Amino acid sequence: MRIKKKHQVGAAKNFITRTQAVKKLQLSLADFRRICIFKGIFPRAPRSAKKANKGSTAPTTFYYTKDIQYLLHEPVIQRFRDHKVFARKLSRALGRGDVSDAKRLDENRPRYRLDKIVKERYPTLLDAIRDLDDALSMLFLFAAMPASDKVTARVTEDAENLCNQWMAYVARERLLRKVFVSIKGVYYEADIKGQEVAWLVPFKFPQNVPTDIDFRIMLTFLEFYTTLLQFVLYRLYTDAGIVYPPKIDSARAHGVGGIAAYVMESKREKESLVEISNAEKAITESEMVSRAQTISTVLNKVNDDPGTEGKAEPVAHDKDDEEDEQVTETLDKFTALPNTDTVTSDIIPQPEDTSPEEVIKTLLSPFTFYIGREVPLDIVELTILALGGTVISESVLDGYLHVDTDAVPEAAEVDFDARQREVDVLLRKVTHQVCDRPALASKVPGRIYVQPQWIFDSLNRGRLMPVDEYAIGATLPPHLSPWGDGAGYDPEEVEMADEVKEVEEEEEEEEEEEEEEEVEDQEDEVVEEAVQVDEDEEDEALEHQRELEAEAKGIMYSSTAASKKRKRGDEKPKKSAEQKQAEEEKELRKIMMTNKQKKLYNQMQYGIQKKETRKEALKTKRRKLEKNKQHKKRVL
Amino acid sequence: MAKRKLARAKKSAEKSQASEQSNGCRKSDRLTQTIGAFPQHIDDANHEDDDEDGYIDEEAEEVQEGDSDDQSDLEAYDDEESAGDEFDGLLDGAISDSEDEDEASDEMSEYDEGSDAGDAVPNFGEDDESQEQEDLAEVIRNSLSDDDDEDEYLSKYSATSEAESQSSLSSDLDDSRIAYYTTGADGKARPIYHDIDPHYSSDDSDIEDTNTIGNVPLSAYDEYPHIGYDINGKRIMRPAAGTALDSLLDSIEVPEGWTGLIDKESGADLNLTKEELELVKKIQLGENAGDVNPYENTIEWFSSKTEVMPLSAAPEPKRRFVPSKHEAKRIMKIVKAIRDGRIVPNKPKIRPEDELPIYDLWADDLQEQQPHVMHIPAPKMAKPTNDESYNPPEEYLPSEEEVRTWNRTDPADREKNYLPQKFSSLRTVPRYEDFVRERFERSLDLYLAPRVRKNKLSIDPDSLLPKLPSPQDLRPFPIKCSVTYRGHKGRVRAVSVDPSGLWLATGGDDATVRIWEVLTGREIWKASVGDDNEAVQSVEWSPARDSGILAASAGEKIFLCLPPIFDDETEVKGQELLAAGWGYAAQHGPAEQVNKEQPCKWTKPSTNLTSQGVDVVIMCRQTVKQIAWHRRGDYFTSVSPEGANMAVLVHQVSKHNTQSPFRKSKGIVQRAQFHPFKPILYVATQRYVRIYDLSTQSLTKALQPGARWLSSFDIHPRGDNVITGSYDKRVTWHDLDLSTKPYRTLRYHSRAVRDVRFHSRLSLFCSASDDGYINVFHGTVYDDLLRNPLLVPLKVLKGHTVVQSLGVLKVEWHPKEAWLFSAGADGTAKLWTS
Repeated sequence: MRIKKKHQVGAAKNFITRTQAVKKLQLSLADFRRICIFKGIFPRAPRSAKKANKGSTAPTTFYYTKDIQYLLHEPVIQRFRDHKVFARKLSRALGRGDVSDAKRLDENRPRYRLDKIVKERYPTLLDAIRDLDDALSMLFLFAAMPASDKVTARVTEDAENLCNQWMAYVARERLLRKVFVSIKGVYYEADIKGQEVAWLVPFKFPQNVPTDIDFRIMLTFLEFYTTLLQFVLYRLYTDAGIVYPPKIDSARAHGVGGIAAYVMESKREKESLVEISNAEKAITESEMVSRAQTISTVLNKVNDDPGTEGKAEPVAHDKDDEEDEQVTETLDKFTALPNTDTVTSDIIPQPEDTSPEEVIKTLLSPFTFYIGREVPLDIVELTILALGGTVISESVLDGYLHVDTDAVPEAAEVDFDARQREVDVLLRKVTHQVCDRPALASKVPGRIYVQPQWIFDSLNRGRLMPVDEYAIGATLPPHLSPWGDGAGYDPEEVEMADEVKEVEEEEEEEEEEEEEEEVEDQEDEVVEEAVQVDEDEEDEALEHQRELEAEAKGIMYSSTAASKKRKRGDEKPKKSAEQKQAEEEKELRKIMMTNKQKKLYNQMQYGIQKKETRKEALKTKRRKLEKNKQHKKRVL
Repeated sequence: MAKRKLARAKKSAEKSQASEQSNGCRKSDRLTQTIGAFPQHIDDANHEDDDEDGYIDEEAEEVQEGDSDDQSDLEAYDDEESAGDEFDGLLDGAISDSEDEDEASDEMSEYDEGSDAGDAVPNFGEDDESQEQEDLAEVIRNSLSDDDDEDEYLSKYSATSEAESQSSLSSDLDDSRIAYYTTGADGKARPIYHDIDPHYSSDDSDIEDTNTIGNVPLSAYDEYPHIGYDINGKRIMRPAAGTALDSLLDSIEVPEGWTGLIDKESGADLNLTKEELELVKKIQLGENAGDVNPYENTIEWFSSKTEVMPLSAAPEPKRRFVPSKHEAKRIMKIVKAIRDGRIVPNKPKIRPEDELPIYDLWADDLQEQQPHVMHIPAPKMAKPTNDESYNPPEEYLPSEEEVRTWNRTDPADREKNYLPQKFSSLRTVPRYEDFVRERFERSLDLYLAPRVRKNKLSIDPDSLLPKLPSPQDLRPFPIKCSVTYRGHKGRVRAVSVDPSGLWLATGGDDATVRIWEVLTGREIWKASVGDDNEAVQSVEWSPARDSGILAASAGEKIFLCLPPIFDDETEVKGQELLAAGWGYAAQHGPAEQVNKEQPCKWTKPSTNLTSQGVDVVIMCRQTVKQIAWHRRGDYFTSVSPEGANMAVLVHQVSKHNTQSPFRKSKGIVQRAQFHPFKPILYVATQRYVRIYDLSTQSLTKALQPGARWLSSFDIHPRGDNVITGSYDKRVTWHDLDLSTKPYRTLRYHSRAVRDVRFHSRLSLFCSASDDGYINVFHGTVYDDLLRNPLLVPLKVLKGHTVVQSLGVLKVEWHPKEAWLFSAGADGTAKLWTS
């Protein structure tokens, strides 16, 4: 038999250190990092680092050897090498002051595409959708980033475009399932083709950019995520029957409702003067486009083309009218249902409305929201649109009605009275006003005033929350995470329990009173009890007989006894004794566990215990707080 | 060429030299010297030389220049002609050839200067080409006349010279070589030859002829006035060595070029000129010492200038005039491409990102496949919890103390990277400072963090508990304490039930043995056996039902008693049994005594003890810790751990005889017990339980419970299973058919296990520990050999209190019922019943 050499098979062969990998690929470390990010190659933790490292225990990063081998013939790596050569040539040309040469070189710089890599990493669409969380969060972050020397304006612009396209899709298809406003930002969850996709959007403030962050890494990720999202969006749009990428198609826009309508709409969309019809079938591709457009581009359009804007108005008005009709239609539909219900009968099950998803999709469809300018529009707008509601934004209306004629001289020609009339018509349909102020000077009768949290909570609960708790200036009920506590504590459960307890306490008090009365009666009952005792004895004899029979049949005593106890177990103290016994038995059974099982069991118990203690701590804290509150109330 | 000429000129000058040391000097210097010595001759010679060759070259001028230059010096040194001049020459010889040229050029320039002032030497006027333009004809004329001059001069010189004159160039015959004869030292005529005048072809003037004395050391000539011989065999005179005064003078007024060195070859002072010193310096520095001009003008061999005589005279080729077909082809290709639209000239610039087409990447609609085994998907971000809300329930808000601890902990150690905060409304929520950083860290995690597949167990922890039959189905077993036997002062160390199950005997630290009625807990009999208050370590009823013998040990003594609690019949029988031994001892005693000293002494008790019911006292050598009866009640073993090889003793009641079965000690013996029905003895030492076959007197097996220190063991009534208890809290079950290692090792007591015990009829066993608990187990041993014993924990009996970290010391099962007796350190014995 041949002597087996050490470190020739197994972990030593399966894993490769990073240095080895870099050498094998003949790349710089930075290029290696990039290709790893693109290809999704990650270090592994081998079961035994010593075996993988050929006997050395020095801390090392290991990669799976086959991953690296797979990289060897990656076309993108060749592009990296080309780029190295290109960079050298360019720097030489620039160093020589050879501008034209440098320009030519720059025009023909080696480029690479990541589509093949996307396809490799995600063979099916569902795979890709499953991995969208990080991509979306990163894109939304860059969309909110200030442009700097590290992050160019183009990067942020592209990211913003993609984000808008994504939101437009989610809103149009009404896929939003959860919203959670946290201190970090807003978490959304959408249901895309059966996959839960969650992403985090920062609040619309300039981001704090730490200086010690290596943006090259982030930008490499962003590059991949951009490609990924482009292809995913293409597929999703096509599946939904929309053209992707949504482009400004003037001819089509004319066909649908005139270019002005398009501009109006986009303006509304972007500046959120919008009212997207809740009849989604009517949403045109141009509208989708408009959603995707950034504010700046649209505004530019508007400013560049005052004539068209002027012309646009009547057309836009027409469009609005159309929308109005649609709205009324849908409204009719929704109002009609309860009418018929009341008229005909109480229970007419609506098959579409039964599933909670369907309920969510049309949760706000009968309503038109007027959003105050102090409310963060991006959050509220997406949520309302995705729930089927209609949005009119105060800030956009302001921009529409009050144009500073000094700044925009063309605005002088605009007929503001006509606009005002148009807006008045629009405002007549408003059912809810979303408002985030301590108080409002004047209220429009017929409108329901709510704080923005009402929308989020309604979505998370899947039903319309009572409006009074969310009224202007009211102390809001806590905003709970739709994903729960994560450690088993449910604040609402506690609330319920407290209520139940209170009720019980009241009942007990009543019972005590009754008992007192009973004591008087008991003396009379003694005689009766004596009779009962005889009966009990008879029962016991019978039971004994039954036990014997059961034993003869081979039924375990415990089972019969347990069943008996269950029959008997009306009294509370006995129940606790049973529990005690069960616990004791458990303890006894633990004796017979093997060491391994014991360890595992104890670990699990530790985790459970930790959760329990946290839960208890929160509960006690809650009780304390409530007591304090009650105390305060009493004092008052 | 020119050089040659010069050399010849020098040669001729040399010829004119009168002194012997004509060689070993450098040309120019030599020349100057000779000039100095014979100014007129030299002048002539110069004339001759120049004219002879028909060349007026620079070298010639140089010579002249040298003349003029050295003029003053020569005059100065005129007096000491031979001496000083010789030195110069020798010195010069030390310098290499290359210097010559250098010097030559230098001198040239010097000459130019000199020529400016040159009127000092009027003689030169005619000859100097630069000064006066002479007719070529005139020069020729001069040269013609020179030949005659030379001959004339030679003859004259040779005649006048004291030394031998040089032979003429023209002489061919040997005889002609002899110039004249002189009288030698022997008085004979000695021919004196002409100087050898080498032909031009043999001219060795290039070869330095400095050293003609050969390699003979100078010291060889110390006694002579000369230092060697020149090529002609003439003496080379020693250069005059300056007197002390001279050298002093030399040192004071340093002559030009003075170095203080002495020429090794000539013995004269080594003087160097400025130029020579420069040269030496250059050589030392490794610079180019030669006369090389590093910045010479380039010669453009191939230039833009059209030469009258070009390098190549080939006519201009046709291709220079005809348009290129190849180029035309290539251009046509491009034209075609443009026509086809493959090349679009002046294409409008598009952003490269925009031109990348976006298409349906998943058009093939692959079926979802199982990912590769080695692929580990990145873990998703944790979902936000209630406490991250901008408006969380109030109980989530941290207290001040929590905030402080959070601030104090390192960011890496924090459980969550944020503190819950509550905002009254949405508009008050500020930005999150660490948003970018968190996303960055997530990116780092994605590509940098080693991933490992962790299989999370999503099982109910209770499913880990072994499936065991419910204790309820294994009844009866003791569950409660029904009788407590109080009376002992101090610990109760021993407990035993009589075979009928009616009487309980206990022994304790108060040195008494007590007997109790089992059911009532009434103390019936008591005997204080221990002298000096030694604790009763062990109490055991004899298994013989009809004898009623109770064995107790206290200190080194074993007491066999007959408690007066049985009927007369039993009592009589017991007395007979015990008394029979005395007789036996009387009969066989002497024989035994001869053999060896007895390990024990069987004695009759004192009257005090007799009155208490003790019939026999066995005196051992060490403290007896345990007694165990044989099943028939005739034999019993005693264990005294300190007894070494006498630790285990086997006593025979009927013969009052004691045997020590072991010759050697096997360690500290803890317990010893007989097999329930076979002639086998089990002995437990600290670590092992050894099984001895008494019939063959051999060791059959040694069990290794794996404990550090065994406290006790017991044998299953069937004899093939053993349980052990140890001070390191372990209880082990050994199946003797399986292995010497335990079948199960259980660890459930928190303190040392003191005693383990099998029930003799029911499949029960128990362990008692210092933690005050008694654990009762069910242990079924199946007849089927393939089935392992079934162990089921039934009950933990809690009742004894722990006193001085001692709990339950001894347990004993009731012979018939599922009852358990226990003796505790709290001074009580207890009966546990079902």
